[in-house]
Amino acid sequence: MHPAFTLAHQEVIDLSKKLIPYLLLVPTFLIIGLFIYYPAVMTFQKSFYRVSPFGNRVFFVGLKNFESLFESPSYQQEAFTTLIFVVVSIFVGLVISLLFSLLLNEKVPGIGIFRTIIFSPYAVSPAIAGMLWSFLLNPVVGYVSYAFLRIFGVQTHWLTSYPAALMAIIVATIWQNLGFNIIFFLSGLQGIPESYYEAARIDGAGAVKRFFNITVPLLSPITFYLAIMDVTFTMFSSFGIIDIMTQGGPGNTTTTFIYRLYRDGFIYFNSGMASAESIVLILIMGIVTFIYFKFVQKAVHYR
Amino acid sequence: MWRKFMVFGMVLVFAVSFLLAAPVTIRFWHAMNGPLGKMVQKLVNEFNQTHPNIVVKADYAGSYSETLSKTIAAVKGGNPPDIVQIYDIGTQMMIDSGVIVPIQKFINEDKSFDVNTLIPQVRGYYTVGGKLYSMPFNSSNPVIYYNKTLFKKAGLNPDNPPTTWKQFEEVARKLTVKKNGKTIQYGFTSGLIGWFFEQYMAVQNALMFNNGNGRIKRATKAVFDSPAGLRIFNFWNNMIQEGIMINGGPGWDNANAIFASQKAAMLLDSTSDVGMMLAEAKQGHWELGVMALPHPANVPYGGVIIGGASLWMINTHNTMKEKAAWEFLKWLEQAKQQVQWSEGTGYFPINKNAITKMMYEGFYAKYPQYLTTVFQLLMSKVDYATRGGVTGVFPKIRATIEQALSKVFDHAMTPAQALKWAQDQADQAMAQYNSLYQ
Amino acid sequence: MKRKTRHTLRVLFVEVGLVLMSLVVLLPILLAISMSLKSPGEVFSFPPTIFPHKFYLQNYLEVFQKVNMGRFLLNSFIMAIVIMFGKTLFGIFAGFAFANFKFKGSGILFGILFITLFMPAELLLIVPLFSLMRTFHWVNSYWALTVPFLASATSTFLMRQHFLTIPKELEDAAKIDGAGPMKFLFQILVPISKSMIGAVAAINFVYAWNLYLWPLVVTNSNNMKTVQIGLKMLMSNQSNNNWGIIMSGTLIALAPTLLLFFFVQKLFVKGLASTGLKE
Repeated sequence: MHPAFTLAHQEVIDLSKKLIPYLLLVPTFLIIGLFIYYPAVMTFQKSFYRVSPFGNRVFFVGLKNFESLFESPSYQQEAFTTLIFVVVSIFVGLVISLLFSLLLNEKVPGIGIFRTIIFSPYAVSPAIAGMLWSFLLNPVVGYVSYAFLRIFGVQTHWLTSYPAALMAIIVATIWQNLGFNIIFFLSGLQGIPESYYEAARIDGAGAVKRFFNITVPLLSPITFYLAIMDVTFTMFSSFGIIDIMTQGGPGNTTTTFIYRLYRDGFIYFNSGMASAESIVLILIMGIVTFIYFKFVQKAVHYR
Repeated sequence: MWRKFMVFGMVLVFAVSFLLAAPVTIRFWHAMNGPLGKMVQKLVNEFNQTHPNIVVKADYAGSYSETLSKTIAAVKGGNPPDIVQIYDIGTQMMIDSGVIVPIQKFINEDKSFDVNTLIPQVRGYYTVGGKLYSMPFNSSNPVIYYNKTLFKKAGLNPDNPPTTWKQFEEVARKLTVKKNGKTIQYGFTSGLIGWFFEQYMAVQNALMFNNGNGRIKRATKAVFDSPAGLRIFNFWNNMIQEGIMINGGPGWDNANAIFASQKAAMLLDSTSDVGMMLAEAKQGHWELGVMALPHPANVPYGGVIIGGASLWMINTHNTMKEKAAWEFLKWLEQAKQQVQWSEGTGYFPINKNAITKMMYEGFYAKYPQYLTTVFQLLMSKVDYATRGGVTGVFPKIRATIEQALSKVFDHAMTPAQALKWAQDQADQAMAQYNSLYQ
Repeated sequence: MKRKTRHTLRVLFVEVGLVLMSLVVLLPILLAISMSLKSPGEVFSFPPTIFPHKFYLQNYLEVFQKVNMGRFLLNSFIMAIVIMFGKTLFGIFAGFAFANFKFKGSGILFGILFITLFMPAELLLIVPLFSLMRTFHWVNSYWALTVPFLASATSTFLMRQHFLTIPKELEDAAKIDGAGPMKFLFQILVPISKSMIGAVAAINFVYAWNLYLWPLVVTNSNNMKTVQIGLKMLMSNQSNNNWGIIMSGTLIALAPTLLLFFFVQKLFVKGLASTGLKE
């Protein structure tokens, strides 16, 4: 340090240096404190109250909101729908993405353009994905609908019958999430040294065997990471897709947790119930975070 | 120096007088989108031009449910609009809100307003406990639209549409066309919409809720799990299972498109779509007919319930504003504006004189399709059943009935089971809501 | 020779596969483009035509007449740009703090931030977050559309990960030159991290542009709505099911993010692929 500084000066500088990291963190923590942690506390508190739509009547009801939530047959149905939706979207989505990535990992002319095209759904918002698929599946003007009619001879009412509507939102979700998944898989594939495959080839392993013995295990950390990221995506961001395509219908068959939360909060004005649902979701995501911490962080080490 | 004072004084006087004469601004939130929204704006502009001391600022707030939720937010945030358009089933919620001024107050004070100009069926809906709470605005009913051209093709007389459920089924059967075992044209279609269930109840003069449909005092129990309710579930379901009706699914658009593209010969829809349907018919070169909602033959006829929305006045504790808002509401109700509104949108005029006026001016002669819709309304009784149910959780109950129907169509429940299930859910929701007001 | 033909065949096979795959992925957008160019008469033609008979550009104009699309676009741009700047800047700050400083409580603070990674508050906590907006009198304002999103765990992690890859020697050299940490950040770290910062900014822009539920709930006048909400209006709006107009609107809403993506695709890939992953 500069020799001209006196000791006192030095102390001041040290102190201010110590403060720097905290000051740098202030904006971020202010935002997440005010807009994530504080609302989380509020929702916890609200879940014990029953409030009239206009807020002019407020009653403490203890755990009653949770009781009626878990007793409600429609909530049980929604839990099942959410599970199916999340699991199928993620599983099928990952399988398709992996297969696509294998092809995209080939070094052939024009591969850059193909990659750009196939990554592109990443730029599409859930609402827009919902719009596009509503159009394709529309019974009157939709191409996919028409193709089904021609090929299978049946007019499927994709968005208005069960289980077609659930399949429709799954398809739209998978499509929209394709770009994201493939970007990760591809970067994973590119990180596998060619020598591994060469060695396997010399040992006489066929393409299928090489895929299952080398590619799959080496990609498993990425797959796991993606699965976790996709949970967040399908649980929450899919709201736009559902709201545009089915609005939770027909009946209640495409109502997932997040859609129910929106409906209870903003259509039925039952904020106590909605808060109880928030708490359930926080717990679920808490478990997901725990799994991530425990397994993904271990498997996927930082650079 | 003096001159400066003079100028200053004059400016001051001018400013004060300007402030005193400054127009009262009224904020008006509505849920009318597209061409309907343009029509609202047109009326508002006209009002502003003819009332220099009042400025109405209209804003589209979103769908009906979005408008209600935004109103709640604005009330809680302390910045509510002065007038807001709320859908029919939000009525009890608004009454319970504690933030509105029932317009009955102004009706009692303002002798220039004749409440009897309102069509009784319309007035009946928004009157709860003897008080008219809000100003009816856009009012509609359900009707059956039918394709006269397809009627003729099937050898049916298009000028003698069916009136009973039985006749209706027969006609639908005849209008169903199959080719190579595949249905290429259905007799009937309709969206899966809870409002229709309520209407089918009303034509049978049956109640949805106890305590006079919630109009004598707060409804505490749902009563739609009744013979009348079951009859509806069966009627609806049987036609679908037989393949003479195609389920348009949730919402209106799909069923409308099926009908407009002539894949179904009849459509259950709202009267507010007359204009749109006329345009579709013209574009597709077919002829549009409108028939009243059919009813079961062996049950006394009730009528249809008015649907749509009404205009509520929020209590701003500002007499000037309230007066100005009342002026606006009163003006909207006048025959002239109502004629304009009705002819421009397809909603009913809510003013009796407007109907007479439209009759004289030949509007109904030119568009007989509109006349059927008006007749159906005027023929309806005005009793607890046809005035419609009132409860604070109506939006949820309506959705529950839609879910129940959907379960029936998917064979997940029998009609009787589904109806009971829906009623249990409704009772639970009502008990929960009512517990807030005991 | 034989080997070469086999190679050529393989390449051909892969190319065909890639073309098919691209078609499948792009199909929704391509068909939307086709639909957006159809005249009202052709929209409902059955069977549907793949290529419009005549390019009917009128649809794109009608979008602006049916809904207030110009204003919606403006609002979306304002929201997305403000959020992009905030998130990126505060992400740089926080990432720098976690990567380059040893300080008391850093572990706990990192954990507190980490937990929010899987808690999208604008969806999960929408009810209380909305009441908070009411308390602040922010409903229907740019404040509500932007402030809650100005910082996030994701941006912080991306920046932290990146800063960790930068050789420690650089910082030591700067110290010896007498540069304070802030000077080091802005004069050395930021310039050499340009592409990573660009990546984070691009990801944040797309994120903000694509927000849906939050603007749906928090705006109520036409002046404050964003494009994503405009689309819902366009669909529920009596546009008489004219899918030509609806798809034109959809493509207008999609254009900014899609174009951004095409132009800076490499940045996105770089940014995303480094969210804490190493093979």
